[in-house]
Amino acid sequence: MDRSSTRSPQSTLAPVALLFQELISRRGGEPARRWLDDARAATGPGPDREAFTTAFVGTARRLGKGPLEPSAEEVSRLQAVGVTWPVGGWGLDELGRATLLLLAAERLAARELLDLVEECYRRGDSRERQAIVRAMSLVPEPERFLEIGVDACRTHVQPLFEAIACENPYPAAYFPDLNFNQMVLKALFIGVALERIVGLAGRVTPELGRMAGDYASERRAAGRSVPADIWRATGER
Amino acid sequence: MKLFDPHIHMTSRTTMDYEAMAQAGIAALVEPSFWLGQPRSHVGTFEDYFAGLLGWERFRASQFGIRHFCTLSLNPKEANNARVAQGVIDLLPRYLVKDGVVAVGEIGYDDMTPEEDKYFGVQLELALRFDLPVLVHTPHRDKKRGTERSLALIKEIGFPEERVLIDHNNEETLPRVLETACWAGHSIYPHTKMDEARMVALVKRYGAERILVNSAADWGVSDPLKVPKTVALMREAGLAEAVIETIVWDNPVAFFSQSGQLDVEGLADRPGIDQTRLFEGNSVLRGQAPVVEGQTPR
Repeated sequence: MDRSSTRSPQSTLAPVALLFQELISRRGGEPARRWLDDARAATGPGPDREAFTTAFVGTARRLGKGPLEPSAEEVSRLQAVGVTWPVGGWGLDELGRATLLLLAAERLAARELLDLVEECYRRGDSRERQAIVRAMSLVPEPERFLEIGVDACRTHVQPLFEAIACENPYPAAYFPDLNFNQMVLKALFIGVALERIVGLAGRVTPELGRMAGDYASERRAAGRSVPADIWRATGER
Repeated sequence: MKLFDPHIHMTSRTTMDYEAMAQAGIAALVEPSFWLGQPRSHVGTFEDYFAGLLGWERFRASQFGIRHFCTLSLNPKEANNARVAQGVIDLLPRYLVKDGVVAVGEIGYDDMTPEEDKYFGVQLELALRFDLPVLVHTPHRDKKRGTERSLALIKEIGFPEERVLIDHNNEETLPRVLETACWAGHSIYPHTKMDEARMVALVKRYGAERILVNSAADWGVSDPLKVPKTVALMREAGLAEAVIETIVWDNPVAFFSQSGQLDVEGLADRPGIDQTRLFEGNSVLRGQAPVVEGQTPR
């Protein structure tokens, strides 16, 4: 794998990556420890891109897809390293893949990392894509992944939509209004609870209020119910 | 009464759907190109998709006595995909002149991004250049605004409104579309968009002029028999046969015949089924006795 001599110093990256590795080894026993060895090898000096993508894709077979379900102690440690949103719904495969991305981000130049993430996303299945959109805000310069975040919102695969829209700080922090508003409308449209959108209250605008109001009016004209939590988008309770 | 489904994605449906549709009276349909549920990452996949709509799918339909036409375009959703968008636009001229292409579509808005604006406009210009009508998809989200913006862009470009079919209307967008000279489609869906009872209410209120109904059936939860089911409810509600026929036959025929690609006289008769025919060496049969109309199956 190519390495950058100009990698930027990361203050928050290493603790998150270390904690993620600890969470994995606590859960997976011997197979998880072997996976961790391979993960470090695949992101360490020497291996090429194929070694990384093989490790990234193969994570689900090695770690399984069971839920992370962190203990109270683990939640407070996650919060201490900056993961302040709920990650209880992450699968172990997603946690493993997020760890791989964090490890790769420590070693790759910005452009190379973006290429790698884009390739993993483009060729990824839904679970692989979920892992990427969940990890994006933890990688340095998260704004470079905006296109991927917006693309994930366009999916018809509900778990992938929820991975970007729900319990994820990325959209509120980096989406332009147009994309953020469309994401909120889509959540209303497919019945995803708005309280799951991190930072929504801070992104309510007159335009989002108008869109949500129009949606309520359209529902009433069709003789249908209006989602009870729509006030979170209109800002009017 | 012969029925016309002016918007249905048959590549996602089975031969049993074709049989049921033919039995319910559907004699002709239009299959608009759209997206396939997951993003395409290469322009080449559109070439194969278009070829399928123009060849194999038309053949499949014919094997069940249904005439198949299509509309081709870069769909609104994938207009946002820089990996394919311009490449598909570059392909379109050589496909829009093929037989049985009855409009440019579905075009329009999904998220109402600058990219969608651009490619909606580009494809209206393409339709002008190739003398074709357009089928305009209206968005699921922010539909009223999306419809307004579609009508405004059509006006701005000077595209003739009588050659525009605005689709997926509801109670709030239909009156707005009828103020123009555009035609108004309605997608009858099991849960979203429009249902049969609401459609009957709209026809009672607004009449039949320039109004169409379709199933928009695709790979999602949808029902390829929604046109005949809507007809049944219209009858039950006491709508005149002439009104019903205007909506489910005369209007789609009148709209799409503006392409010059709809053989109106040929449509009068259902195509005879001959399942001994092959398409490029392939049959839809899997060992069954071929049905040939006028003959008892062997």
